[in-house]
Amino acid sequence: MNHQKGMPSKGLLIYFVLCTLAMVWPGALIANRIDPMVLGMPFFMFWYVAWVFALFVGLLIAYRKDTGEEADHE
Amino acid sequence: MSDSLLITAMTVGYLVIVLLVGLRARRGQGSSLEGYVAGGRHMGLLVLFFILGAEIFSAFAFLGAPGWAYSKGAPAFYIIAYLTLAVIVWWLIAPHISRLGRRHGFLTQAEFLSACYPTPKNVLGLVIGVVSVLAMIPYLTIQIAGAGMLFEAATSGTIPFWLGSLLACGVVAAYVYASGLQGIGWTNLMQGLMMVVIAWALGLTTAEQFFGGVGEMFQQIKDQAPEYLTMPGATGMGWGAFSTAVLVSALGCVMWPHIFMKFYSAKDVRTLKRVFVLYPLYSYLLVPLLIIGFAGIVLLADTPLDSPDRVLLTIVVELADLPAWVIGLALSGALAAAMSTAANLAHTSATILVRDVVQFTPRMRALPEHKALSLTRYGVIAISLMAYLLALANPGSLVSLLLGAYGIIVQLLPMLLGALFWRRASQTAAFIGLSVGAVITLLLQFGIDAPFGWHPGFCGLVVNSAIFVVISLMRKSSESRSPVECLSPQV
Repeated sequence: MNHQKGMPSKGLLIYFVLCTLAMVWPGALIANRIDPMVLGMPFFMFWYVAWVFALFVGLLIAYRKDTGEEADHE
Repeated sequence: MSDSLLITAMTVGYLVIVLLVGLRARRGQGSSLEGYVAGGRHMGLLVLFFILGAEIFSAFAFLGAPGWAYSKGAPAFYIIAYLTLAVIVWWLIAPHISRLGRRHGFLTQAEFLSACYPTPKNVLGLVIGVVSVLAMIPYLTIQIAGAGMLFEAATSGTIPFWLGSLLACGVVAAYVYASGLQGIGWTNLMQGLMMVVIAWALGLTTAEQFFGGVGEMFQQIKDQAPEYLTMPGATGMGWGAFSTAVLVSALGCVMWPHIFMKFYSAKDVRTLKRVFVLYPLYSYLLVPLLIIGFAGIVLLADTPLDSPDRVLLTIVVELADLPAWVIGLALSGALAAAMSTAANLAHTSATILVRDVVQFTPRMRALPEHKALSLTRYGVIAISLMAYLLALANPGSLVSLLLGAYGIIVQLLPMLLGALFWRRASQTAAFIGLSVGAVITLLLQFGIDAPFGWHPGFCGLVVNSAIFVVISLMRKSSESRSPVECLSPQV
């Protein structure tokens, strides 16, 4: 891998920016409505709940990649 | 047994269990300062996860967050947003802090920063120490006052405010005094689990009992008061205010000393990263609590509350037809949120008070370790007592002190990032940026209105970072290493 040890990859950094922009202006603008309701929640609330999960999945993948690389080096 | 007696008994039972768990954690623990302050730097995944969760979700989660949903509506999602985004900042910098802390023996945040930016006589460390304690004592007071209020409301006054807050404060001080971070670890594990289970049970029961389900509840709000469900909410919070509050809170979360210093306690970097992977899921705790707040919009439409923070208590204790034991559990869950945060605040501020402030002079620096340890323990008692007395006196300036002091702490972030990642980071530039950023934050907080309704701390951070970067770039530098890399291998 071409990135420094301990530093996050470019892909992960882009994903972090994406998650951030989704939760503030301007990203959150596109979700600022009530319908469709998902899982009983208004869409705007569901949007936040969904991005929390998206960050969890992103971090899980990053962690798996990190530890996989460490194992390769060993 | 009357209802309020049963509720009181259950809550006292909860307190006893927390106390026992906290005191038991003392067993098998050596008497080193590192053990007391940082759990010997070998905290594992499970305990560290719940420490971080339980310390971040404070009395605010059960009182303030539903209050936001009830009084403002959608802007309350800012809490979910910033607590989730905080993980990104942790992911990027916590592994470095953990590693360097172990290598150089750092125990406080001030030690880290003053090692990167050495000042004559370590003045920077002293300033950070004093400001941190000034931020944390009001924060602790709010937790203790919250506990007192919860007791009084849920037992219908059987346990008055002064006694309720004294009980909560006393239990916390006792096990933190005795067991240090180990005691906090096991009690936070228990309290963190309680908070999650109780929050979900209460949220879903409320929606079910009054509306027949969460979907039906939001449908009714949509029919009666749709303005609550989208931005800018019922009180008109602009996107600028919302977004900057999310960003500055997420960035600032890492700078809270009680969070920062937990990174030192991790067993290794892998454990820390595992905690962060799971952490976003913990913020789902807020979903049921916000649901209760939203329920209040319809349920209390005819009799609005003067103080939105009481919405959860009003619904659970007065409106809902819940058996007394459920109210007892609900109270214990909310108390768990307040007390788990209080324990961390008392522990961290005592450590800072002793290590960065009292031990500032060379003579005190030379204190043998066991003396420093007992001093820290007495510090826990002294700070808890002070916070309790402040809770009784309830001075109106408390929140201002908290906002002001914490506003300054957040301004340390650019220089921290510079120290970790930037070769050109200049010490002079960092100090000028910090001072200007702090002045701007305080000015916008207490003096003039912030531009565009932006968060004062965010404005301070922007100016602070700009000054830091520009002046650093202007200075000729032959340094090829960042401040962190310049640290000597051993201290």
